[in-house]
Amino acid sequence: MGKPTGFMEYTREAAPPRDPVTRVRDWEEIYGSLPPERLQQQGSRCMDCGVPLCHAGAEANGHTYGCPIHNLIPEWNDLVYQDRWREALERLLKTNNFPEFTGRICPAPCEGSCVLAINEPAVTIKKIEQSIIDRGFKEGWIVPRPPLHRTGKSVAVIGSGPAGLAAADQLNTAGHCVTVFERDDRIGGLLMYGTPSMKLDKGIVDRRVDLLRSEGVRFVTNAHVGVNMDIQEIRQDHDAILLACGALNGIDMKIPGRDLKGIHMAMPYLTMAIKRGLGDDVDGPDYVNAKDKHVVVIGAGDTGTDCIGTAIREGCKSLVNFARKPMPPEEREPGNPWPQQPHVYIVDYGHAESQAIFGRDPRQYQVLTKAFVDDGHGHVKAVRTVTVEWEKLGPRKFVNAREVPGSEFDWPADLVLLAVGFHGPEQTLVGELDLETDDLTNVKAEFGAYKTNVEGVYTAGDMRRGASLIVWAIAEGRGAAREIDCYLMGHTELP
Amino acid sequence: MAHRGWRTKTIDIVFERGEGGMNGDKHVATDALRRSLDRVCAEAMQAIDEGYSLILLSDRKMDRDHVAIPTLMAVGIVHHHLIRNSARTRLGILVETAEAREVHHHCLLIGYGADAVNPYLAFESLWDLRRRSTFPRSYSDGDLTTNYIGAVGKGILKVMSKMGVSTLQSYKGAQIFEAVGLNSEAVELCFTGTASRIEGIGLASITQEALRRHRIGFPRRHLPAHSMELPNPGHYQWRKHGEVHAIKPESIANLQFAARHNSRETFDRFAQLCDDESRQRCTLRGLFRIRSAEENDRTPVPLDEVEPSRDIVKRFCTGAMSLGALSPEAHETLAIAMNRIGGKSNTGEGGEDERRYQRDANGDLRRSAIKQVASARFGVTINYLTNASQIQIKMAQGAKPGEGGQLPGHKVDPYIASLRHSTPYVTLISPPPHHDIYSIEDLAQLIHDLKNANPEADVSVKLVAEMGVGVVAAGVAKAKADHILISGHDGGTGASPLTSIKHAGGPWELGLAETHQTLVLNDLRSRVRVEVDGGMRTGRDVVIGALLGAEEFGFSTMPLITLGCIMMRKCHLNTCPVGVATQDPVLREKFTGQPEHVINYLFMVAEQVREFMAERGFRKLKEIVGRTDLLDTDQAIEHWKARGLNLEPILMTAEKPHPGVNVTCSMRQEHGLEEALDKDLIETVKSALEDKTQIRLQMPIRNTNRTVGTMLSHEIAKRYGDTGLPPDTIWVRFDGSAGQSFASWLAGGVTFELVGDANDYIAKGLCGGTVIVYPPSASVEAGFVPEDNIVIGNVALYGATSGRTFFRGIAGERFAVRNSGAIAVVEGVGDHGCEYMTNGRVVVLGPTGRNFAAGMSGGVAYVYDPHRTFEMNCNKEMVSIEPVSDSTDVDELRQYVCWHEEYTGSTVARNIRESFEREVRKFCKVIPHEYKRVLAEQKAAQDGVASAPDRQREQSHVPLGQLRS
Repeated sequence: MGKPTGFMEYTREAAPPRDPVTRVRDWEEIYGSLPPERLQQQGSRCMDCGVPLCHAGAEANGHTYGCPIHNLIPEWNDLVYQDRWREALERLLKTNNFPEFTGRICPAPCEGSCVLAINEPAVTIKKIEQSIIDRGFKEGWIVPRPPLHRTGKSVAVIGSGPAGLAAADQLNTAGHCVTVFERDDRIGGLLMYGTPSMKLDKGIVDRRVDLLRSEGVRFVTNAHVGVNMDIQEIRQDHDAILLACGALNGIDMKIPGRDLKGIHMAMPYLTMAIKRGLGDDVDGPDYVNAKDKHVVVIGAGDTGTDCIGTAIREGCKSLVNFARKPMPPEEREPGNPWPQQPHVYIVDYGHAESQAIFGRDPRQYQVLTKAFVDDGHGHVKAVRTVTVEWEKLGPRKFVNAREVPGSEFDWPADLVLLAVGFHGPEQTLVGELDLETDDLTNVKAEFGAYKTNVEGVYTAGDMRRGASLIVWAIAEGRGAAREIDCYLMGHTELP
Repeated sequence: MAHRGWRTKTIDIVFERGEGGMNGDKHVATDALRRSLDRVCAEAMQAIDEGYSLILLSDRKMDRDHVAIPTLMAVGIVHHHLIRNSARTRLGILVETAEAREVHHHCLLIGYGADAVNPYLAFESLWDLRRRSTFPRSYSDGDLTTNYIGAVGKGILKVMSKMGVSTLQSYKGAQIFEAVGLNSEAVELCFTGTASRIEGIGLASITQEALRRHRIGFPRRHLPAHSMELPNPGHYQWRKHGEVHAIKPESIANLQFAARHNSRETFDRFAQLCDDESRQRCTLRGLFRIRSAEENDRTPVPLDEVEPSRDIVKRFCTGAMSLGALSPEAHETLAIAMNRIGGKSNTGEGGEDERRYQRDANGDLRRSAIKQVASARFGVTINYLTNASQIQIKMAQGAKPGEGGQLPGHKVDPYIASLRHSTPYVTLISPPPHHDIYSIEDLAQLIHDLKNANPEADVSVKLVAEMGVGVVAAGVAKAKADHILISGHDGGTGASPLTSIKHAGGPWELGLAETHQTLVLNDLRSRVRVEVDGGMRTGRDVVIGALLGAEEFGFSTMPLITLGCIMMRKCHLNTCPVGVATQDPVLREKFTGQPEHVINYLFMVAEQVREFMAERGFRKLKEIVGRTDLLDTDQAIEHWKARGLNLEPILMTAEKPHPGVNVTCSMRQEHGLEEALDKDLIETVKSALEDKTQIRLQMPIRNTNRTVGTMLSHEIAKRYGDTGLPPDTIWVRFDGSAGQSFASWLAGGVTFELVGDANDYIAKGLCGGTVIVYPPSASVEAGFVPEDNIVIGNVALYGATSGRTFFRGIAGERFAVRNSGAIAVVEGVGDHGCEYMTNGRVVVLGPTGRNFAAGMSGGVAYVYDPHRTFEMNCNKEMVSIEPVSDSTDVDELRQYVCWHEEYTGSTVARNIRESFEREVRKFCKVIPHEYKRVLAEQKAAQDGVASAPDRQREQSHVPLGQLRS
């Protein structure tokens, strides 16, 4: 901490978003960057705490606080303040394989538990992280570092999302031959097809994949293990397997009218839009586009927001977003104190864009979807909802939903997108490998050990934990790599 | 090195890693280390035979196959081997090591016999940092080396001074260390004679650790690491993969939630975390198991039969954290909380605002029950002492034994300065020692003085849990302390120097056990209450404290965390972002702590204590004090490094010299206050006390009359606070030789005129009174020359805050040390005059001893120096010597000289007065640099209006002469 009074002298300055009115006309990233000297100021706001909770990465009382991969945040904040970017980059890469992803799309539990956030806006940690790695690429400091020697062992990684890629990077570094199998046509999993390009430019994903490839990681696309590839064969060909297939079993809504046309799961919709943006020919019988449509997005999580941003860019006519729970409070509630992640009302990019284009926040709270209404031709024409009231037990804890009589309402809709969460991993491989699962259908393996009930088969990320944050995926991928290395070699030097 | 023809032989201090090191075969590797140690010793002896004068122990040969021997072991074993063979003086030991980098490392190497150390890796790291532009380009490698050596040198001096050692020669090989957790084989081999009370690891574990470090440097597989940057080991700031700390992020989160919501469930999670951390290597108490009721042939009792929490919390105190270290908000919240529950908060050494002695409208009291008396005596006035339930003499601090404190200038705002009787924005130094305590007898005298200053308050002595504390505690009990605090090394580390955080002090478990055992053995335990502090967190900690012999318990860090502290460890920077440890008004606004938070926490601790007692079949906390038989260690020690520990010395049941010995406090100390001269004095001046009637009296005095005037001052403070009585309400003339501590803490409105002489500590803590001493005129007429003779003893005016003294004759040593506001005129002083003075005026009309004005940061001294000899006796590190030329100074000095002549009939004063214009040029004005700067700034700020705070105070003293007329 070169500047003890930085936090008293400067206020928080985050990355400036582009103007919502103009940015919805393209698919480019939303957030700009700050000039280096302003980032230095932001770095000087870090207080280099005796107990830096931003770096803690712990779960307590059911809350994550601090960075799950234990980024050395105070250390690189200070290096940035001192204008020592290259050393900052080295510190950052000690704990994080892909800061260019987390710096863009991580929800930043670090900032929620920043000590400064007790009574002031948090340090701009996420933006500083992104700036360090972006500068590293720009300056040419990031070069391929293939392993010094090979161990002769081989590992198959199934799934190329952040968990799989982090594990592949670590295992390759340790000298193992790593092959990553991906069922889609491009590498990246949710990084590629689960995150719209205005949040994460696809060139950035490709850049990392190319780097890994040049370091010796093999990638196989269109390899849907369990469907068009035999998992037993892969087992025979490799000394260990890591399953990092995510938790993509989307929750459907079993309500009247679900079979009508115009009702889609969020994830395939987003994927299609991304492919279109990448120049793929996706037009065909399954063509979905929000252009000139009345769009209803059900589910107010991050996926819902991504649907909003995408639909607006496609030129939808109107937009509404349903949340079952009440609107979050403006400020932390007593039961949700620092250092927990604050559960407060946030205007995310999609909401701001809706505000700018349609003049209002698209979110409707305490709305329960009851049915989809037929237009007479087998296509949806409206969504029928009812208002619900809840009994509140604590922050985000609501029970005993009660429908308000007479509150039924039909929302006009040509396109309905379901973004109400995920059950857990798809079960194909679970069956083929006879994997044990937990109550939530996630593959059973202890956190920190990542070992399934099948010899030599490990699992990490959402597949083990259930849908969660990108940093947890990276944390688990790294952890699993360490365990696999130890399994293969009897010891490990991986961090 | 070949210097003056001396030849140096290099001895490699490495051992073969071999297969043992590779595969973890402990025995093989340990043997390799042992053989290498033998080889090193043999080569050293051989060097003598070969005619070498010096050996160089070098670990530069460390490589993939060679592991460095821990340097300290190598130095220690060679040093002792040479001593055993009567050859130490024939060989110098030079050390070349990659290991030494911190001050403590250098201290250890020197303390175990090294004559010179080359910390080459430390140098190379600095040079590398320069190449990577961490340091400004203007530095050369040479500059960095020089600065590093300079810094380490200062650090070593600081450590030596903490231990009371003045020269490196005395420190070298002196081994003033205690080992915690090292077995006797290793100690005997390498560190012969070092105290190690609980055994611990031996060569095998040391080898394992050396191999671990080696493996980090030479891994089995090299990874194309993105960086060669070393990890931060988290020694001073928590890191996930670093050293284990007693408080981790989850603990803070849980404790704050528990305290704010009074959530027992969350508190239990916090306590579980703490107790687990304790077990996993942080503390000795973590290694204990408390036996169950069945094991002790008892049956559990229902919880509601156990004494209630509201009684248990009365045994709780908060730690001594001064206002200055803490913000007023935090300090007062702690006081309110403790007063509400009947516990005790502690002022720390920074005085206390008089306004806090009155209850608030809502009935809350912001007064701290414990008033600390530390070496600097900041704000220790009679009113301060009168408003105490307990007066605590701080002999040392658990977290930084041997050190005084330092309050940096930027934290000394006008409010803090007023409470401490100092100048705003001038750094305040608390000296390491009490200048009135150089022996246990001195301590007994101070205890007696403080008892006089407030007969209703208990006098407590705070000691550090280090080797030998038991004997010291026994002495303290015999010196009639009512209460003893054993302070462990864990707590209070927010602003401690880094060397002290890691390497000073001892665990309270050891100190407490030793204290309790020694006190019981000497049948002194029944006379004192024993408190323990230093990292108390949970009910389990309290129970173990009680079992080891404590009946009261101090908490500091945890209550602060409940009030918002998040362990920034920036307490010294004034930038505490939650308003706990800062004086910055903007940051203080952010303080959100409430007394309820502290209260909730302490009650939950007490509830845990009750549950422990109920489960084990005890109803009163008193019943478990000293019951070490309820503790067990066998099953608790699981960590590989803890296996060799032997906790028997801690668990030994205190031996009673006869069956009637009480093992808890059961009687009061006999302080002998009934015999004090003050009892008569108070009776005689009753009317003056009640109605402020002026009274004049005369009484004889003898040197058995100690601490005369202090109890009287206590009675005045009870009625009139700091203000005291109107000037000269009570005027007593004494004839004879006064005993020790004459006129200590003499209150305003009292004048003591002593015709005769006085012992040590006269006018100590003077706060408003006037003290005049001169020899009987008969002696002077008979040829006694006052200005050539000592009329008062040592340590006069120590910690005086206001008032005036006139001494016709010479004073002993340490005159006016830590004076912070009194005016004193004297005709000569011994060594160390005006040391650490922060305010007030001292006029010396004769010669001074050495080291005058050392550490002086405020106030002015005028020294009459006709023969120009003063300068060499003055320690000019912090002060400058100037002529007395400014008209204000001249007038002030003339006034003091005139008073002196008037009150004492001094001929020295008369001679100066008669030719003042000429004589004033022979005076030196001694003024601290920083004080001068601040005065000038104040003057500029006030646009020439002369109203600096100290001057205002002086002007409030109406000259005696005017009153009398």
